[in-house]
Amino acid sequence: MNTLSLELTAPADPSQSRVLLIGLGGLGCPAALALVRAGIGQVSLCDDDRVDEGNLHRQILYRAEDVGLDKLDAARRALLPSARLSGTRIELVRSRFLPENARNLVARADLVIEGADNFATKFLVADACHLEARPVVHGAGIRWVGTAWAVAPLGRPCYRCLFEDIPSGPQANCNAVGVMGPVVGIVGAMMAELALRTLSGRPPRAQLWTLDGKADTLRQVAVHPRPDCPLCGSDASIQDTDESRYLLDPRAA
Amino acid sequence: MPITVRIPTPLRSLTAGEDQVSAEGATVRAVIDHLEGAHPGIRDRLLDEKGIRRFVNLYLGDEDVRFLEGLDTPLKSGDELSIIPAIAGG
Repeated sequence: MNTLSLELTAPADPSQSRVLLIGLGGLGCPAALALVRAGIGQVSLCDDDRVDEGNLHRQILYRAEDVGLDKLDAARRALLPSARLSGTRIELVRSRFLPENARNLVARADLVIEGADNFATKFLVADACHLEARPVVHGAGIRWVGTAWAVAPLGRPCYRCLFEDIPSGPQANCNAVGVMGPVVGIVGAMMAELALRTLSGRPPRAQLWTLDGKADTLRQVAVHPRPDCPLCGSDASIQDTDESRYLLDPRAA
Repeated sequence: MPITVRIPTPLRSLTAGEDQVSAEGATVRAVIDHLEGAHPGIRDRLLDEKGIRRFVNLYLGDEDVRFLEGLDTPLKSGDELSIIPAIAGG
């Protein structure tokens, strides 16, 4: 159950804040760089992937010689000089973000940044953050399009108000169809900005930003709380992060 | 009465790559029916037997049609309908 408590109030001083960053890809890399340089108190990095040559055009913390290394180690190496200057502690979470560790990891942070490359993780992050009453900034990118938005600690609206459940059927994936590096670079920076605003006690409005590089547009639409939302609605059915909820549709990519 | 429909990346394979198309119809439902005629398969990506698919959002201008009149939301010439699906990737 969610309990309204002082924990709901993130520190107004970002230098005292702890941010958990899930997914060190095209969105997570620029977001991490911006947060470390901003002097966030602690940035915890969570990813279990290794650097691949196909990552380099957009995942700006990694160099060609990092191919094959754990992303966590390569990211730490890239971030350390800035972290020393800004005073940011960098913590490495050497695990995938999974139903069994999700709530513990989220509970230790003041804010979560989600730049995962798959729907199961996105929904798991949304659920864990809501159940632990933590604000979360979601981001996504594919081809020329990227989206970002910030969710308040108790939602209303939350990710499931907008996208109720894991999509069924085949879905495009950035590794399969590609994504433009500068698009996720911009969106990752926007995610850091939304995070800093939230941590400064000035949370942004509930709106989804969509950058379309091909159509030359940056648009925002209001997101409304869904009264029957399964996560943050008045009769919410999601009270835990049970593994069965995050099994991908076998038809999905 | 032409309506502009903004097509998201995952659905552009159905519109020959176009990021926006023109459609006719006095309601959201009629526009989707019209779209289906020109771009077969698109209706199934937007709707299921219960209505708008759970991971798809249709916006009239800046407003989610779920908070208007849903598929019966009336449209007028020049309106802009945006399809906003959940996307992953990063």
